[in-house]
Amino acid sequence: MIEAPIDLHAASSFQSGIPHEAFATMRETPGLTWSPASNGTRGFWSVTRYDDLVTVSRDPETYSSGVGHIQIYDIDEDALEARASMIDMDPPIHTRLRRIISSAFTPRHVQGYRQAIQIRVANCLDQLEREGGGNWVDIVAKPIPIGVICDLMGVPEPDHDFLIELTDYLVAGTGTEPLEPNAYGNTTDLRLLPFNSPAAWAMSQYATTLADQRRRVPADDLITKLIEAEIDGDRLTTDEFANFFRLMIFAGNETTRSSMAHLALYLHQFPEAFTALRQDPSKLAAVTEEVIRYSSAILYFRRTVTTPTVLSGTELHVGDKVVMWYSAANFDETQFPHPHEFRTDRPITSPHAAFGGGGAHFCLGASLARLEIAELISALIDRDISFASTGEPTFVESNFVNGIEILEVTL
Amino acid sequence: MIGGAETGGGDDRADLVVVSVNQQVCIGAGQCEMHEEATFLLDEDTGIAAVVGHAMLARDRARKVMDTCPSQAISITETAP
Repeated sequence: MIEAPIDLHAASSFQSGIPHEAFATMRETPGLTWSPASNGTRGFWSVTRYDDLVTVSRDPETYSSGVGHIQIYDIDEDALEARASMIDMDPPIHTRLRRIISSAFTPRHVQGYRQAIQIRVANCLDQLEREGGGNWVDIVAKPIPIGVICDLMGVPEPDHDFLIELTDYLVAGTGTEPLEPNAYGNTTDLRLLPFNSPAAWAMSQYATTLADQRRRVPADDLITKLIEAEIDGDRLTTDEFANFFRLMIFAGNETTRSSMAHLALYLHQFPEAFTALRQDPSKLAAVTEEVIRYSSAILYFRRTVTTPTVLSGTELHVGDKVVMWYSAANFDETQFPHPHEFRTDRPITSPHAAFGGGGAHFCLGASLARLEIAELISALIDRDISFASTGEPTFVESNFVNGIEILEVTL
Repeated sequence: MIGGAETGGGDDRADLVVVSVNQQVCIGAGQCEMHEEATFLLDEDTGIAAVVGHAMLARDRARKVMDTCPSQAISITETAP
């Protein structure tokens, strides 16, 4: 049993971004690598090679999302149930939940949001140009995705900042920065709250209020779709709806934000790629994919073994935790030659794992994320925006998301 | 199995296959429709994919679109007569 070379439980292992050296070592190590228990969290196996990750991702019967949490830490049954959304479930129930809203995220449907996305991108870049720079994350990377997902869900514009505040606390919950347990008026035991955070409670309250409004006056938005949906003749319960809402707001926000934040770094670090794009606009899709691969916004998700199996020569037992490091698989040179090069010629038949390794949980928002990022890249090229300087990024303290909090740029 | 189908070129009819979608597994990601819009269509309401028309594709294109399906819902069911 070979142990991981760094402490993967610890957010501090990721404070400079993806720990590429450690992941390279792990990819080259035969079998899976072990991380021993830490601070009351059971140990886990890590998957870092692309092929192994795809195997795990596409076998939900063996590697379940529903049996344990999909984060590394362990939580009790009741805590799991209180926060469960489709991301914590296996087919067939997962599929039925996902289908309530999946039609809003198909490539064809997503094209319909293009203009709204362009307007948001334009507003943010106008501000950036007016101010001559600033914190790229606050001015550009944060507001665009939250604006887009909030529009889809049906969250009114004046409330967007509040949701940004809440999701920031949720992500901080994957690191070390705690809120007071009674923040936002929370009275629920933290143990039963997603991310053990009062911000999750606040979000549930907010979601429930909006749902009530939509019940009285339906709208053409996803909140309305969710409250009207029926599975086996039953509507979603208050908790089910709130968990779904939280999943959508978190997933549609943190992730794209992270890729957009990293985009500013790549604009500065890999100017040749963007010059090539300017000369050949047909490269936009390839450049967009490379931004998504390279930034690997979600570092990992976890699965739990349900039947004894062997993966890459390592014996796995029932209850074993298996962690898929998308951020490691995305730099697997057997899948991506010269993985640390930002290339515009990677074939589409070599898909990255930033949207997952495939299977039922493949990122619902993939087409939306692609469009948002592509529109931002297009606008940057059209406006000929480049940075005179970029500061050192301050990374979000987390082993789960590859986020950037602060990235000062000057135009 | 039609031999030599992998090499492509020559008589295209020899390389045609019939594709189908397993709707139990389909998650409505829409990659199929995006890449082969003459062959796949997502239902407006449910977002689930179905094949349209004769559902025939050149084998290499069928393989490619199979690979792009994130939930592996597409399969090659039979070779065309």
